[in-house]
Amino acid sequence: MTASGSGGSIYDLGYRGYEGPRLGRGAAVAALLTHSVRTAYGLGRSARSKVMPVGLVLLAVLPSLLALGIIALVAQIGPAGEAIEAISPIRYSTLFPFIAVLVFLFSASQAPELFGRDQRAGVLPLYFSRATSRLDYAGARTLGLLVSLLVLVLSPQLLLLVGRVLVAADPVAGLAEELPELPALLVVGLLVVTLVGTVSSATAALTPRRSYATVAIIGIFLIPNIASALLVELETGLLGQMAVLLSPADVLDGVNAYFFGVSPDNQTVAQAGLPGWSYPVAAGAWIIGSLAVLARRYQRIEA
Amino acid sequence: MSLVSLDRLTKRYPGGVMALDALTVAIEPGVVGLVGANGAGKSTLIKILLGLLEASGGSARVFDLDVATQGLAIRQRVGYMPEHDCLPVDISASEFVNHMARMSGLPRANARERTSDVLRHVGLFEERYRPMGGYSTGMKQRVKLAQALVHDPRLLLLDEPTNGLDPAGRDEMLELIRRTGTEFGIAIVMASHLLGEIERVCDFLVAIDAGRLLRAAALGTFTQKTGILLVDVDESPQELATRLAADGLSVRVDGHHLLVQIRDDATFDAVRDAAVDLGLGLVRLEPRRGSLEDLFRDAEGDAVSPAHGQAA
Repeated sequence: MTASGSGGSIYDLGYRGYEGPRLGRGAAVAALLTHSVRTAYGLGRSARSKVMPVGLVLLAVLPSLLALGIIALVAQIGPAGEAIEAISPIRYSTLFPFIAVLVFLFSASQAPELFGRDQRAGVLPLYFSRATSRLDYAGARTLGLLVSLLVLVLSPQLLLLVGRVLVAADPVAGLAEELPELPALLVVGLLVVTLVGTVSSATAALTPRRSYATVAIIGIFLIPNIASALLVELETGLLGQMAVLLSPADVLDGVNAYFFGVSPDNQTVAQAGLPGWSYPVAAGAWIIGSLAVLARRYQRIEA
Repeated sequence: MSLVSLDRLTKRYPGGVMALDALTVAIEPGVVGLVGANGAGKSTLIKILLGLLEASGGSARVFDLDVATQGLAIRQRVGYMPEHDCLPVDISASEFVNHMARMSGLPRANARERTSDVLRHVGLFEERYRPMGGYSTGMKQRVKLAQALVHDPRLLLLDEPTNGLDPAGRDEMLELIRRTGTEFGIAIVMASHLLGEIERVCDFLVAIDAGRLLRAAALGTFTQKTGILLVDVDESPQELATRLAADGLSVRVDGHHLLVQIRDDATFDAVRDAAVDLGLGLVRLEPRRGSLEDLFRDAEGDAVSPAHGQAA
């Protein structure tokens, strides 16, 4: 530590004040948002914490890669191939139901990382005593989860879109052909992400225990799904049909079918026969309810 | 303008526990000790100042800003070191302190520079890149102090900063706090139930007991000379006491000590001469200072005698 013989400490520059800029609340919220996305993908943490999120994204793009492979092959065959392509099960309108389970798993594994860790380690008092408020914190963490989920949900769709355009004989014409699909794709993607993300955030925020939160989130997407199937099957009338709206997984399937104008992937949703618009409305109700639970939790949580 | 001013600040927890009971006090910049037994209301007061808790009544102002309505503005320039564990185990000190700097609104590059500065200030070098789960209590306390300092606050609120430290670690932490307060001009309010720590670090003291103000004053006024001479001899203090009383001095025996009222310089000579005459070895001859413990004894209404050992 000391310079030879002189006794003067050369490394001890002492404490220096800070005269630089203080960007305040907005910058702090933005920093927490970025931090949340990084945390959800395990960036800046051990390799083990990257396995789950990155693995799920890879699994999610697999169907798109498969579909692109088929399309490329078909293009070689010529007109006969177009018939084959027409019956390909992987297209924009079927992709989400295809990867829904991956989205639930991602949310169930990463939401507890974002919300439970800080509670477990006792970090909340440090956040709440800085430039942010309690609701800023909850909002930034939730938004962080939504952005992370958006990457997972839109990657396969965008990959499929870009691939189809590139494989097309005339890319410009190909782009013109694919673009009309974009609005539905984005609206469904955003609704899926927002519903899954807010429901998971509200659930994860309620407990510091990661395993409880993970099980609870999976339960919310799975159990009502089974219950509604039973109720609809028993044909208990309108009340029974409404049960599908209490199942977030069914609501999402309904949303997908409504915006893409296809029939629902899930038999229960098809059988319930509710008007298409009821699904986006139900999704909105789920999102608002989850945000209310989340806000209440963070206004009251002890720090 | 006071740094912190409380006006009949009251906190009643659900269930009826009175943590703060109409506490009124003004705290000026400096190194201020907030002392009281466990449960006296120290942590409650700090949390109200930070906006982590809401007061039930009265008001509190920091930097002349109202805690209830201007919390965000206050918190941008306050650093807080909580009593309990607050560090995630799986990330490094460097990354954590940097994140906390960003959370205080510092731009990316500045946050990195401040993190490096402040970790060096608290004496954390190579270890800063390792996950904090493997840190000793002493290292964790340093990181907790570093995250409170990283945005260069005007006021530092420390809640039992030596909690869980061994004697050597405690000495280092107290020295670090003293330097931070006196050399770098950051105002400090430090809560502790250990009077000895407060005596070593602080220059102003606020004593609270059961949520009420016991006393607030500069530390010097608690430890002024008391006009009492403390005398230790190697044997028979009673004999010396009798002799000094015969010389017309006011003497009291307290265990092995003699407590002699100092009249003037001649009192010292009288004690020395008496000891020589009786053939007693004079072990200690020392003007007795008041101690902070007397303050609490007085408050409890016990024997009002400045006769017991000094504060540790």
